[in-house]
Amino acid sequence: MHNIVGRFFTLLTLTVALLLGSAMAQPTGTPDAEAFRDAFLAGNLSWDDVLERAAEEGEVVWAHWGGSENLNTWIDTVVAPELAALGVTLRTSRLTNTRDAVDLVLAEAAADKGVGEGSIDGIWINGENFFTLSSQGLNFGSFADLVPNAQYIHFDPNNPASGPNLFDFGYPTNKEEMPWSGDQYMCAIDTARLDRADAPSNFEELEAWLRANPGRFTYVRPPQFNGNTFVQTVLYALNPDGTSFQPFQSSADEISPEEFIRLATPAYEYLQRIEPFLLGGGGADGQRGSPIYPEDQNALEALFVNGEIDMACRFGMYNTAVAVETGRFPETAENVIFPESGMIKNKNFIGVPVNAPNPAAAMVLANLLASPENQLSKLGAIGYVMGIDADLLSPEQQAQIDEVAPSLMGITYDELGAATVPDTNASLVGIIEGTWIEFVERRTGSLEEVVQRVYADR
Amino acid sequence: MASASSQQPIRTPRRPLRELMRRFYVPLMLAPVVITIGVLFVGALFVALLQSFGHAPLYGIQEFPTLKYYRSLFQLPGFWSSVALTFYYAIVPTIVGTILSVYLALALRKTFRGKGFVQFIYKLPLMIPYLVGVAVTIVLFGNGGIVARSLFALGIIDSTGDFPRLIYSHAGWGIMFVYVWKQVPFTTLIVYSVLMGLGRDSEEAAATLGASKWQTFWQVTLPQIMPGIVSATIIVFAFNFGSFEIPFILGGGFPNTLPVEAWRAFEDADYARRLRAMAIVMFIGLMSGAVLFLYLWTYRRFERARGRQ
Repeated sequence: MHNIVGRFFTLLTLTVALLLGSAMAQPTGTPDAEAFRDAFLAGNLSWDDVLERAAEEGEVVWAHWGGSENLNTWIDTVVAPELAALGVTLRTSRLTNTRDAVDLVLAEAAADKGVGEGSIDGIWINGENFFTLSSQGLNFGSFADLVPNAQYIHFDPNNPASGPNLFDFGYPTNKEEMPWSGDQYMCAIDTARLDRADAPSNFEELEAWLRANPGRFTYVRPPQFNGNTFVQTVLYALNPDGTSFQPFQSSADEISPEEFIRLATPAYEYLQRIEPFLLGGGGADGQRGSPIYPEDQNALEALFVNGEIDMACRFGMYNTAVAVETGRFPETAENVIFPESGMIKNKNFIGVPVNAPNPAAAMVLANLLASPENQLSKLGAIGYVMGIDADLLSPEQQAQIDEVAPSLMGITYDELGAATVPDTNASLVGIIEGTWIEFVERRTGSLEEVVQRVYADR
Repeated sequence: MASASSQQPIRTPRRPLRELMRRFYVPLMLAPVVITIGVLFVGALFVALLQSFGHAPLYGIQEFPTLKYYRSLFQLPGFWSSVALTFYYAIVPTIVGTILSVYLALALRKTFRGKGFVQFIYKLPLMIPYLVGVAVTIVLFGNGGIVARSLFALGIIDSTGDFPRLIYSHAGWGIMFVYVWKQVPFTTLIVYSVLMGLGRDSEEAAATLGASKWQTFWQVTLPQIMPGIVSATIIVFAFNFGSFEIPFILGGGFPNTLPVEAWRAFEDADYARRLRAMAIVMFIGLMSGAVLFLYLWTYRRFERARGRQ
């Protein structure tokens, strides 16, 4: 409900902006904050200068997905006190959808609120949302390699290990966002209901298994990112060229609609074909029941825990371990490698918008979240994969990783590493989800018509 | 106030400020409400109206005036199913709930043991938010819910999957259950207070003249409580028609009800879709308004036919 109220006020702000008739342009901020920004981004300030100014600003507003109690508790007990020790009060804005924060930044920028004048300092962000801000030029600037803890992150473009830090869904981060967490798409089964040996490990097996056990699986509804990711893995697996993720690294401008149709036809036809065998789908070929595509990962897990489905896929490398430990999942829950053809892994970031009200405190927040101590603590306490690069840590810290990392619950790092693939290009996300909505959910036309329309709407 | 005005007769306005206050007293009292509604409601509605006709420079769209967002809406696959579904979820619980409420209100007039307790307990859902009702519905009637599990434990069904799908389906049993659960107390409260105000005189007179119980209900009681029923059903229907979160959580997916459809369009990564969302919102308002107008018009005719103004 808060979400709706928040959205309403965003709409109101947009309305005011609309009535004022202003156009989207780089907004101007307060002279003082602009001076800080320019000096910091030019590398003319020491970190002590930044800390001093941050304490003067006195607070920092962090907008983050707030759907995990574990995470919220960790933020309150670890991050908030550390910031308080630096004279900065942490104010969190817990979102159900990161898009809300992006909307707010867009609205404020449209009302010409620049640096020092907005309402959000840091956003937990990645993928399409970062793409939106970035393509509108609404990021604070290339700050990520200028904060002290950047030493734990590969930024050298000549080093392949820098890839996940320099590209977010195939889109250049331009160091405008700070890596802070990583994640991998994982599928959990309940071994009490589904034997590990019977669990599907690729999409052919999934279809055969679903035909034998109709209704025992479903996936999150795109455009929610967990749903998009499922569709992406199908696209990789059923790529007719057998080149998996490779063609999907190109941007939508580089892949013609015709080429996309060619690459995606087997995947989308597959998704239509299995729909009758998903939860609520009817159970027979060609039937259209009321297939249940849960709204988000929590709704999906509710179905899993209630015993309505036997396998649930979502982002969360250590989610199963943490869920079993906290009692959210039954003790018989385990992970499986699904699909073997590619389990998407990516990083997520702390972005700082163009109109951060407390720019120095925003830098402090981004830096503090990337400290090895906090990264290890986050890994241990909530099972979020580290956003910084382990090989840059001291040997003691590396040993600690193995100590604190939760279990992979039945699979090994080697198996997982062999199945790891990157995300698609961010500019394709809208096309992939739009095509799913039109072709799989709403059946508004043939795949050719749908893709052409989605491309045209872009 | 009362004592002050008795000491100072109105005909001698010696204090201009006080006189001014008196003149603007009512507008001042109304101002907070009028401004709030004017800005937040009428203002937002106006912007939504403009957007639905193609005025949205913020999203780079300036086609005002165009009907294309409405036209494309009506051609959208599943749109008319959405309209039908929205009416279905709005009307059925309104009717069922009203029948139950009238029955309950009549029963509450009687004297029986434990009446005080019943009068307290039936009002409880009024104080509980809709979303709690939604949660209760999932816990009780979901396929992993208490009822399904109990039936499974008793061996009546082979697996919880065999339990009929009461939520997440287009039949909408769960959605309508939540509406009825929440709205019966509300309608009952209104009908019951009308009944209390009426007293039993005319009913007793009818009985003395030989009317059966059934005749008394249809020809004496019902016409008298009709105003209460009408105002309650208007509120209930309008809520059900525009309700978002209940069909959003308990609904069966595409085709969605109109408010959910508006939300999805608004949520789309493509900002231009928001114009479609606004067209849907306008359509919801228009439909709901038209239905309520027709309903009130019919009711007025009914009252006039009975000779009441």
